[in-house]
Amino acid sequence: MRIRPRWKKVWRDLWLNKSRTLVVVLSIAVGVFAIGMIMTSYTILSGDLRTAYLATNPAHATIFTFDSFGEELVTAIERMPEVKEAEARRRVLLRAVTGPEDTRLLWAVALPDYDDIKIDKIRPLEGDWPPPEHEILVERSALGLLKAQVGDVLPVKLPDGKIRQMRIAGLVHDLNAAMFVFDGVSYGFIHTDTLEWLDQSRDFNELRFVVEGENPSRDYIQQVANKVRDKVERGGHSVYFTFVPEPGKHLFLDPILVSISVIMGAMGAMALVLSGFLVVNTVAALLAQQTRQIGMMKAVGARTRQVMELYLATVVLYGLLALLIAVPLGAVTAFYFSRFIAGLLNFDVTSYRLPPNVLATEILVGVLVPVVAALGPIFAGTRVTVREAISAYGLGKGRFGTSMIDRFLLVIQHSAALRRRLSRPLLLSLRNTFRRKLRLTLTLLTLVLGGAIFITVFSVRASMMGTLRSWLDYFQYDVAVQFERDYRVERILQETMKIPGIDTAEVWGFYNTRRERPDGSHSDNIMLFAPPPNTKLVKPTIIKGRWLLPEDEAAVVVNSIVLRDEPDLDVGQQIVLKIEGKERPFTIVGVATGGMPMGTIFANYPYFARVSHNVGRGQYVFATTKIHTLAFQSEIVRALEEHFEYIGMDVAATAKVEEEMGEVEALFQVVIVLLLLMAVLLAVIGGLGLMGTMSINVLERTREIGVMRAIGASNRAVRRVFIVEGIIIGVLSWLAGAVLAFPLSYYLSDVIGKQFLNAPLDHTFSLPGVVIWLAVVIVLSAVASFLPAWNASRLTVREVLAYE
Amino acid sequence: MVNGELLMIKSLKQWFSRNQKVTDNGHYRYGNEHLIELRKVVKIYEGAAGKFPALKGIDLQVDTGEFVAVIGKSGSGKSTLINMITGIDRPTSGEVLVGDTAVHTLNEGQIAEWRGRNVGVVFQFFQLLPTLTLLENVMLPMDFCNMYRMREREERAMHLLELVGLADHAHKLPTAVSGGQQQRAAIARAMANDPPIIVADEPTGNLDSATSESIFSLFEDLVRRGKTILMVTHDLDLARRASRTILLVDGEVVDQLTADEAHARLMAEEASHAH
Repeated sequence: MRIRPRWKKVWRDLWLNKSRTLVVVLSIAVGVFAIGMIMTSYTILSGDLRTAYLATNPAHATIFTFDSFGEELVTAIERMPEVKEAEARRRVLLRAVTGPEDTRLLWAVALPDYDDIKIDKIRPLEGDWPPPEHEILVERSALGLLKAQVGDVLPVKLPDGKIRQMRIAGLVHDLNAAMFVFDGVSYGFIHTDTLEWLDQSRDFNELRFVVEGENPSRDYIQQVANKVRDKVERGGHSVYFTFVPEPGKHLFLDPILVSISVIMGAMGAMALVLSGFLVVNTVAALLAQQTRQIGMMKAVGARTRQVMELYLATVVLYGLLALLIAVPLGAVTAFYFSRFIAGLLNFDVTSYRLPPNVLATEILVGVLVPVVAALGPIFAGTRVTVREAISAYGLGKGRFGTSMIDRFLLVIQHSAALRRRLSRPLLLSLRNTFRRKLRLTLTLLTLVLGGAIFITVFSVRASMMGTLRSWLDYFQYDVAVQFERDYRVERILQETMKIPGIDTAEVWGFYNTRRERPDGSHSDNIMLFAPPPNTKLVKPTIIKGRWLLPEDEAAVVVNSIVLRDEPDLDVGQQIVLKIEGKERPFTIVGVATGGMPMGTIFANYPYFARVSHNVGRGQYVFATTKIHTLAFQSEIVRALEEHFEYIGMDVAATAKVEEEMGEVEALFQVVIVLLLLMAVLLAVIGGLGLMGTMSINVLERTREIGVMRAIGASNRAVRRVFIVEGIIIGVLSWLAGAVLAFPLSYYLSDVIGKQFLNAPLDHTFSLPGVVIWLAVVIVLSAVASFLPAWNASRLTVREVLAYE
Repeated sequence: MVNGELLMIKSLKQWFSRNQKVTDNGHYRYGNEHLIELRKVVKIYEGAAGKFPALKGIDLQVDTGEFVAVIGKSGSGKSTLINMITGIDRPTSGEVLVGDTAVHTLNEGQIAEWRGRNVGVVFQFFQLLPTLTLLENVMLPMDFCNMYRMREREERAMHLLELVGLADHAHKLPTAVSGGQQQRAAIARAMANDPPIIVADEPTGNLDSATSESIFSLFEDLVRRGKTILMVTHDLDLARRASRTILLVDGEVVDQLTADEAHARLMAEEASHAH
């Protein structure tokens, strides 16, 4: 096949300028890679999650009860015309002994028939099935938490302190277990016969059901759930919590995946925009460098359109070469990334594919974005006339001395003090930096955005940690103990204070309630905390009204989230809460902010104890310790457990603030790692951009280098001029990046907070992030300009004179 | 040697047949009697230092088959003058008629195509595309102007390179051959579309005297085959061998002289400037 010489020129220009081609191709590839990787991962993860989730026949709603119920209630619910199928379980909270001084909360779930699980199916992975009597099948993600292996015997502590030795008989996978594992709670399945051995009732405390009909809406399911709840309550049972997730969507994992894809999608788009800038820069420089060639082609008969076609073809080829790198790399990375995220979220990636829509997007993005980016420079560069092209001569291009910036630079350089301090080569670097202002602007834009995002990531991380800390500070306890049943408040306090190291202790009431609205409907679940009057362990910020007074009876302080969800409420108005099956009116006396991002209400403990028929008794004790480290908190919790066991008070669960903090931090760490990954990617693009710019600067100033050489500049001096110029650009970008990072980190903290926590994060600007980026950008600039500087220093005067 | 000359003559007959023809009444389309006619051509450049008149109302006629040397000092307007004829630059006022074309009326795209087909341009610094071989450089004008059939182009380019004595170097990149060889390749490229006119801006300015001589001989051969050549040169010895010499002084044609007369005038002017 005969190839026209003009197309041969296109190909040879690419091939003979390998380093330039590599820089452009990599620049485009980075953007395409980011988009492809993110889209593929999201398609795989969300597709596989949906398939796996639907395969478990997920419950449309779950009702948790305080007391136990039998099979007959399940049958009655199943007979309701709206209910397709119903199934009950018993869930008990135990403490697994994971070390000589350490315990871990363990949810043990007993299913009535393991051979015929109808709803929220689990999958046996290893070992026995169903769980043998007195043994447990552990959810695979909990194995690490329990620090045990299949076959090991796991000591389990009962509320009265008795220890039962349970063998881990096998592993199972429960897609719904992810949320517990993230809370640091382990999870396993036991036989119903094992319940009695654990001093537990064989009856159920959790009812799951699926409603009739194809793809029912959440509203419809909620209506059915209300009916089921009423029926359960009419049967004399006390409903603790009704839970209706978005149908077909995993409660916990779907929002995480969406959040991850939103964050990474935004970063990917930014990477693409930045790589577009690089293309603009490089193509503009390519055309500037080939001005004479363009003129010559026109002199021998080429029309502007033909020349434009040549350079557009060059850009398309850059794009295709970038696709060759980015598509397979994106696909492979997506595979490992999906597996990593799926592993983290405890589900399996079962299929691996490059979705056709992703491939189509990659091709579109890989070719279209560079072409669109290059249109401007190509249009401007190819319109040069033959006369302009052949008359371009002299020492380099780029005017210095005409703009305001140049004049400013000249003024500061001419100040006597600076002239003594700045060397001539340094002054040259400084002036060279501002010679090609458009190119400098585009290079800076790339680096500035990269830097701003880098600093933003650090700020978002700091904001996350700050927000978590403020939540936990809101409740000022160090350790908490939940008892198996109610005990007298005085006794709890007396026994708690016997432990050396405890500073203060308070017994709190806690209730999961809901608002009964005047129209008969009810709100989502609201947490009711009932601290003693003059509590020292909660520090809410009152934004309206006042905090509780000791003499307040039917009075509550609500948090702003309750007001957001129930906008008809305000200070001075009445709120009706359902407590122990009865509707109780309270007057709202104040509105507080802070704390956890969920509806929260505070009431005085004595009044709450009265309405919940629990006067003088309590189930939760919160205490502060003299030292606030995790080690000390662990020591205190162990001492408390031993003491309560010794005196016969049954402990259901314990908590240490520092440990909880660590676990929540771990969840956010996933996001931080992803953000950092993208920040590094953007830094790489910035570096590539700078390298490209510096290479072009070297090419363009070949004659100047010759002149510098001719008047005695050493290799080192030539190198230094270019490296210093690169560093000046880097530092300028750092300054602008730090400024831009401020609003950007505000915005991202807001978005991430809302995605993950339903509330904006308390914004913290990370100064360490600013300092780290300065170090990174200096190194990056030096490295990126080293190669071009090295090439510059290797040019001989003869080569330079031959340059034409 | 004899064989080589025969081959060259055969090649010239075979490949150089496109000479601009006058119409039946002896006039071209715009009423011009000469192949190249410049009528009151003025070119003024505007720069930061103000207006600079490069050409001041030039009237010039060149007929088919003439070999015209343009001489003058630096800045006298030599290059500007030939740029008017090639369409590389446009007159501020006046007319530039080349055969049936009023060059000054064409837009950039039309000029490029017209030039590619009708004028071969040779520059002082050769200006070959560095990433194409000599053969591909010669094929490029045919490619851009869509002249000749695809398979014919390579054959033709090879013949042209044979003509300029570069057949053995056809597949080399420009950087792999000498300056003289590059300029010969540039001449082959200028002849690629068999244009009736060849314009050369100091084609020997960057070459040694022996190489300059061979390049000049090449031009003389082309003239013998009916091509019209305009050449800017500083070399008065070479200018003497042209059929006519035009001396430019400060943007004006002093006279259309024989080479010896032009030489004498140029010398005299330089001497008066020196005093």
